[in-house]
Amino acid sequence: MPSPRPDTRPLVVTGIGVASGLGHGKDAFRAGLFEGRSVFAPLARPGRQRGDDSPPFFGVEMPDPPSILPPRVERTAGLSGRAAVAVLDEAWREAGLDRLAPERIGLIVGGSNLMAREQFLSLRDYAARLDFLPPRHGHVFLDTDICGLCASQFPIRGFAHTIGAASASGAAAIVAAVEAVSSGRVDACIALGALQDVSLLDLQGFRALGALGPGPVCRPMDAGHDGFLYGEACAALVVTRPEHAGGTIYGRVLGTGFCTDGSRGPEPNSDAQVRAAQDALAAAGLVAADIDYVNGHATGTPSGDEAELATMRKLGLGHARVNATKSIIGHGLSAAGAVEAAAVLIQMREGLLHPVSHLDAPLDEAFRWVQGVVQEHRIRHALKLSFGFGGSNVALVFGAPEGAAA
Amino acid sequence: MDSDRIAEIIIAEIRSTVPELEAQPIARADSMADLGVDSIERSEIILATLEAIGLKVPMVQLHGPRNIGELADLLHAKSKA
Repeated sequence: MPSPRPDTRPLVVTGIGVASGLGHGKDAFRAGLFEGRSVFAPLARPGRQRGDDSPPFFGVEMPDPPSILPPRVERTAGLSGRAAVAVLDEAWREAGLDRLAPERIGLIVGGSNLMAREQFLSLRDYAARLDFLPPRHGHVFLDTDICGLCASQFPIRGFAHTIGAASASGAAAIVAAVEAVSSGRVDACIALGALQDVSLLDLQGFRALGALGPGPVCRPMDAGHDGFLYGEACAALVVTRPEHAGGTIYGRVLGTGFCTDGSRGPEPNSDAQVRAAQDALAAAGLVAADIDYVNGHATGTPSGDEAELATMRKLGLGHARVNATKSIIGHGLSAAGAVEAAAVLIQMREGLLHPVSHLDAPLDEAFRWVQGVVQEHRIRHALKLSFGFGGSNVALVFGAPEGAAA
Repeated sequence: MDSDRIAEIIIAEIRSTVPELEAQPIARADSMADLGVDSIERSEIILATLEAIGLKVPMVQLHGPRNIGELADLLHAKSKA
């Protein structure tokens, strides 16, 4: 038996903000997920083209974030910062965080090396005139500038810092937010999966590793899978105690698991994935049989998909519905765990599951994939898996809000 | 390039760095601090002005001016040195 948690009432998620290639805000996200609309295209943002006759990088780019910042601040904020402010604004308003004391609110930004594309462009633009490099480059290249930007615009005075776990960063931010509220350090903590603004160098590195697919679509968990495709994304989730929840309660965070497996590079480790999931289930006081929906990490890389299928077999999840949000919005890297947790909670609220796009020949027919079109399903207990290069394995167990129909 | 022309460049850089000042009259006698320009913005405005007039001088040599006119005079003097 797992030891009981100090506070027996699970924390809840009360506010969500989302940005992805489907658009800005939850309405665009919800509509896009359930329509299964394809948004993959050659990456067009400056700093992501090779400029030779090699094939373009395919992926998903989001519309420009809404203008929320004062003009003098907006001109100094990069894409990652502007997306962060947009999702934070949406989550903040929905959760009604203005009711709480600023010192009782924390912010954890998931991700590292977030603004590589802008650094790449700056180096290109200023290489021949470095003496005139604007002085703000001395602080805006830091990932923590996103923390500073957010806390300069919203009354967050508990703490604001980053947490890095590669593609599991967004999920790791949720784990850290849960710990910060559980321990009593703050009353509410925003977990923000930041937009990883990749440059040509990062994309070429992924291509050289054999991890990036050629496009034009990605096919997680399909026999035709050939690598992941990048997708710009960003999401913020407000984690708080039920008594501080001011708005919509999307669901409860019942348990988390976060372990390392000793690998340095991109190779997955199924045993550690199982361990993370078992830790999360134990913390939730549940067993795999209680899970009725799995949102996979499911990137579409052959080795990653196979390892995750092995994990789900070992856990005994053949009864659960499974889908893969990356098949629709691409792989948000640092943002993936947070934006996919948002997808879990939005599906939970709607009683619907989005289809896995391009899943024509599932690698393992024994699982109950959501194929074709949106399907009705009342989620009671969801498992969200999220893995990152460098050996990070995160699992999150979400439960329907108390009183929700079983 | 005379000091008045340099002051015009400084004022244009102030307006592009702080778009909120777009419609506000700005003259040589105004100081950037009084206009609400913060220290990083001020450095950015001076560097952009230096680049626009083709002048390379260390920022530490540009402390002292109390308003835009005095800064323009100093940059003018440096550009002739």
